[in-house]
Amino acid sequence: MTPALILFAVFVFIPIFFAIYFSFTDWNGISPPAEAKFVGFENFRVLLFEDGIRRADFFKALKNTAYFSLGVVPMQTALALLLAVVVNQRRLRFKSFFRTSYYFPSITSSIAISMLFLFLYQKNGLVNQVLETITFGAWEPIAWMADPRGLFHIIFGWFGLTLETAPAWMQANVLSLSVWDWLSGPSVALMGIMLLNTWTTIGTMMVIFLAALQDVPREVYEAAEMDGANARQIFFKITLPLVRPTLFFVVTLGLIGTFQVFDQVYVMSSGGPAKTTLTVAYLVYRNGFTNSQMGLAAAIALLLFIIIFTLTLVQRRITEGKKE
Amino acid sequence: MKIKLSMLLSALLLSAMILSACATPAAQPAAQPAAGGEQAAAPAGAVNLQLMGWASSDAENVRLQEVVDGWNAANPDIQVSLNLVPDYDTKLQTSLAGGAPPDIFYVDSFRLPDLAAAGALLPIGDKMTNVDDFYPSLREAFTVDGVFYCPPKDFSTLALEYNTDLFDAAGLEHPTADWKWDDLRAAAEKLTNKDTGVVGFSINPDFARWIAFLYQAGGEVANADFSAMTLDSPEALQAMEFYVGLVRDGFAAPASDLDSGWPGEAFGKGRAAMTMEGNWIVPYLKDQFPDLKYGITELPAGPGGKATMAFTVCYGVAANGKNTDAATKVVDYLTGPEGMKAWTDLGLAMPTRQSLREGWLAQYPNLEPMLNGADYARKWQFRPGFGDVLDTINAGMQEAFTGAKTAQAVLNEAQSVGEQVLAR
Repeated sequence: MTPALILFAVFVFIPIFFAIYFSFTDWNGISPPAEAKFVGFENFRVLLFEDGIRRADFFKALKNTAYFSLGVVPMQTALALLLAVVVNQRRLRFKSFFRTSYYFPSITSSIAISMLFLFLYQKNGLVNQVLETITFGAWEPIAWMADPRGLFHIIFGWFGLTLETAPAWMQANVLSLSVWDWLSGPSVALMGIMLLNTWTTIGTMMVIFLAALQDVPREVYEAAEMDGANARQIFFKITLPLVRPTLFFVVTLGLIGTFQVFDQVYVMSSGGPAKTTLTVAYLVYRNGFTNSQMGLAAAIALLLFIIIFTLTLVQRRITEGKKE
Repeated sequence: MKIKLSMLLSALLLSAMILSACATPAAQPAAQPAAGGEQAAAPAGAVNLQLMGWASSDAENVRLQEVVDGWNAANPDIQVSLNLVPDYDTKLQTSLAGGAPPDIFYVDSFRLPDLAAAGALLPIGDKMTNVDDFYPSLREAFTVDGVFYCPPKDFSTLALEYNTDLFDAAGLEHPTADWKWDDLRAAAEKLTNKDTGVVGFSINPDFARWIAFLYQAGGEVANADFSAMTLDSPEALQAMEFYVGLVRDGFAAPASDLDSGWPGEAFGKGRAAMTMEGNWIVPYLKDQFPDLKYGITELPAGPGGKATMAFTVCYGVAANGKNTDAATKVVDYLTGPEGMKAWTDLGLAMPTRQSLREGWLAQYPNLEPMLNGADYARKWQFRPGFGDVLDTINAGMQEAFTGAKTAQAVLNEAQSVGEQVLAR
């Protein structure tokens, strides 16, 4: 127990303490940390209250991350539950094969998968080819990872609403970003990363659901079948309520994971095109290691922690509330 | 509570261990020879230096090791070990912040202002042998506020590469050093073929390429002492409209539209008849597209005359290093006439000393347009924190390429971000 605690202290507590400390300094990340000047809440003021590029970048990253999370978490949770129910069936053949293959992406190197997806997302890549085939050639190939257009902007465009025709309130600035920008939706490039992220995380979530499903007593299902419940009723009235604690756990994991997404952005897009895949975690890295503003980076990391913590609390409230 | 006490004791023990571990190398720097046979042979009392850089192609890594080995053989009292690492910037930054930087390390000119402002570099530029032999444009690239920090190890400049087969098929004269913007645009238009999917020119939404056009138009990023940004000038607008216009009119395309990772690949695949890259494209094309027939010439001149960009890296010496005198001597050798000749004879990057020009050209005559660029090249170096401006322009140009933003809007944004950076 003790060695574990020490390791925990050295590698978790002390770094956290220093990260908090540096968020109140102007440390550039290059000179010795002792030379960093204490600047109070300056970094937080710049990020939250001063109109300028640093606040714009922070909220842009927050916006992208929120769209990312809103897209990925429901999708991965629903699909993971669906897969878990499917591979949990008693009468399914090749059960182990399916379980293994669904879990496989989760244990493969995320960097390797990201590199592979870069090719799939090319203009003449597999994704476009498949879409072209299933739409009988109606699909116009796009360079996924270079396309900064937002999903909602594209949809607005179908109804003739573009930046030029947008009403004045859409052009107003809120927190250094125009309302139009806030309403962009995830860009095509970001959606590419979202799909990839969903695909790689489903396996882990499925295994967690599978464990929960196998804990559901067989008798409950048998009783339901005796009472004449159909498959849908069994799923919604029995399976879902009984795995609710696991659902909470999976959504929490998903939320934390998506708010921290970094590696896939680092490999596939470096925050581009047009900063539409700039996530909060990537912004931390960029400020700390390419823009020599480690103090600012630490402040962003701290804000990210506060955001994730709050969201988890809120989400727990909601899930617990449903119990009554 | 028993746990608490033992935890405290263990924590104390651990921190003592960590402290002593940190102290050891400082106390006896040269006592333990590093792993590897060559150092072991060094006589007692020799100074061991570490040279850190990023790993590049095998050919370059091997050549650099040979040059370093040559130094080690001739100088038993100063032994250099080469450490080529991936993810270089992060590694360098953490070792600088950790107070134990490598004695000599690569510094990219764009990164120089940040490192200089942090006081991480010892100014050694003027201590080099025959300083005036370095091209003025390259000395300038490593000079901040009048201090010449570190000597350039080699450099590359942007030039125009053109596919001779595509030019001949279209019945066009090959580009020359006398080309103007209009010639470039006219040729790009004629070479663009919707049916075959070939465009005239491949350019990315990249500040590091557009900036050459800015200077060719007679524009500037900022005024001479960086007290004000000048990206709102008519020259800048002209350059941006020309660059974006090529793409919007369909005569040029970014690499991603040509199923490529970078313009060099699009050019190699024959999807673009021209591109503007530096010396690094030459070994790439030779390796990946050995059958490609292409020529190299200088970038076309704009309304403001000729301009290109010099991308260069220097050998920096850590300000708080322990053997800075020895390190300076090694750098002087590596960038001196002898060391630099041994390094640049590989032909991948060009010698930064004017005295080596003729000898190098005799070996690589086809790269003369790139070497000529040294005479009028501009530095890729601005102010600390300029990464924000770079990111803003790149992001803006990406949108301008799709038509979502006007050239003017891109520049307005960059101008405003630049002013914020200068005001910090």
